Amino acid sequence: MVLEGRITAHTAAPVWQSALDTLARYPDRPVVVDASRVEYVDNAGLALLFDLTRRERAPGAAVELRALAPNLAALVRRYDPRDFAALGTRRHVGTLEHLGRATLHQLAYLKELSAFLGACGRALIHAHRRGVWKWGDVLDVATEAGANAVPIVLLMGFLMGVIIAFEVGLVARQFGAVIFVVNGVGVAMLRELGALMTAIVLAGRTGAAFAARIGTQKVNEELNAISTFGLDPIEFLVVPRLLALTLVVPLLTVLADVIGLAGGALVMTTFDVSFLQFHARLLDAVTAADVILGIVKAAVFGLTIGAVGCHQGLRTGAGAASVGLSATSAVVRSIVLIVVIDGLFAVVTS
Amino acid sequence: MDSVASPPVISVRNLRIGYGARVLLDDASFDVHRGEIVVILGGSGSGKSSLMKNIIGLQEPLAGDILIDGKNLVTAGPDEKAQLQRKLGVMYQSGALFGSLNVLENVRFPLDRFTDLALEQKDLIARMLLKTLEMAQAALLMPGELSGGMLKRAAIARAMALGCDILLLDEPSAGLDPITAANLDRTILSLRRNLGCTFLVVTHELQSIFAIADRAIMLDPHSRSIIADDAPASLRDHSNDARVHQFFNRQADAEPLNMEQR
Repeated sequence: MVLEGRITAHTAAPVWQSALDTLARYPDRPVVVDASRVEYVDNAGLALLFDLTRRERAPGAAVELRALAPNLAALVRRYDPRDFAALGTRRHVGTLEHLGRATLHQLAYLKELSAFLGACGRALIHAHRRGVWKWGDVLDVATEAGANAVPIVLLMGFLMGVIIAFEVGLVARQFGAVIFVVNGVGVAMLRELGALMTAIVLAGRTGAAFAARIGTQKVNEELNAISTFGLDPIEFLVVPRLLALTLVVPLLTVLADVIGLAGGALVMTTFDVSFLQFHARLLDAVTAADVILGIVKAAVFGLTIGAVGCHQGLRTGAGAASVGLSATSAVVRSIVLIVVIDGLFAVVTS
Repeated sequence: MDSVASPPVISVRNLRIGYGARVLLDDASFDVHRGEIVVILGGSGSGKSSLMKNIIGLQEPLAGDILIDGKNLVTAGPDEKAQLQRKLGVMYQSGALFGSLNVLENVRFPLDRFTDLALEQKDLIARMLLKTLEMAQAALLMPGELSGGMLKRAAIARAMALGCDILLLDEPSAGLDPITAANLDRTILSLRRNLGCTFLVVTHELQSIFAIADRAIMLDPHSRSIIADDAPASLRDHSNDARVHQFFNRQADAEPLNMEQR
């Protein structure tokens, strides 16, 4: 067998294959590889030369590299075939085991999140007792998370009211029950959708931002710097955010409720229900309890978004990629928790 | 060194680089020959990283030419440019390994994309490279699980996967302890000796420069030019330029007035 010319990563494939074919054709005979005409080899060429000599062959059927440049021969000899045994692979995990592990993982997460909320509560009480509390920090976060989110919350709330009124109105008209659409819009917006949609918008907008911000601070070791100054990162970074969101989400929900109802009322005029009729029917259909339930839910959603966002931020690992993962996890986990909590409220208050 | 007689693998001709009206480096010319280890150094803002990006083809120069193996990268069309870029193995300062692939898959990545080799053969090439760089035990680890020194060695292995005609290393010793940095220097010298690799290295580490460099090219942010291009020992002992002398002898600037008064 003769090897010649330049053997590089780009040219090695056919040469390598034909060399292996030759070895396979003569399994019981010694093979001499004439390398005297090899001009240059790179890593791939070196791997080819090594591969030819490392293979287990029948006794007396060794592969000999002849006339290989001494420096290349020395390089080939530096590698030990025993170092290149098959690499171990990661153990295959079955579906059932995967499901079990995922469940345990989620339960452990909920336990961790509860402990985190406990730590936040203790930090709040501690800060309050020492009188070092800064409402300015809360206001800053509330402005960013709340005031700046007003336009998007108004738009979403308005569209929700319009869509529900329109879809339900079309069906109700077939039964001559258009006026009852007001009940549907009122209850849906005030008890459910106002709080739910606001929370989902804020989970995407603010929860992710909290996770990314705190995660970046962790990656940059700012959290270590805060701890070294004797400050508690939870008291310093997390509690203001939790308080701000717990206050701001109910306020935004009230706005979403009002604009949603306005959207619904606007659509109802096309079904010959005037604003006055809408108003009168709405007062009959909903109670103060519906409004309060929506607002209480919104406060719990706000606390959840803040807690999950900050917690994910603090759990961030090393490197920029883990900041992205934290932000994504914060959004997904917040939304799942919000829907689960909404379900629990529905069961408890039914 | 006989390699100097051969045609240069990188030839920078009258290069002007910068951003719009802000020129970082003007009329820069130098050659890098096969098998040479050339270090680029200079103070902050002198354009070291920008020069590197221009040579890699990630930035367009304002004027001048960059020849890789005699072909002009600046005037090349997209296909030819991609072909020239494939000749350059680059180690970025942060390693820039793909976070979703393990070390072996990272090193195999260029082979997967640009060669017709069988998987077993690509694996062998990648594992031999990792062995050469003393990273064999880390083949199945993810980049997030590596220390700084391991990350850089894995990045060099990936840069070498398609051959090591020209390797560009951006601050290989930055953030490494002296022993790891010295090991990396030894690896660079051994790659040059055994495989004839050519290196263009951006670094500030004086010990590293004296250990590995055949030539040091010094950029100056004030004159926006190359102010030195010679062997490091010669620059240290014989340079008449105050800035070069100051750098190679690791001397501080003159003390500010208020410090002297204390």
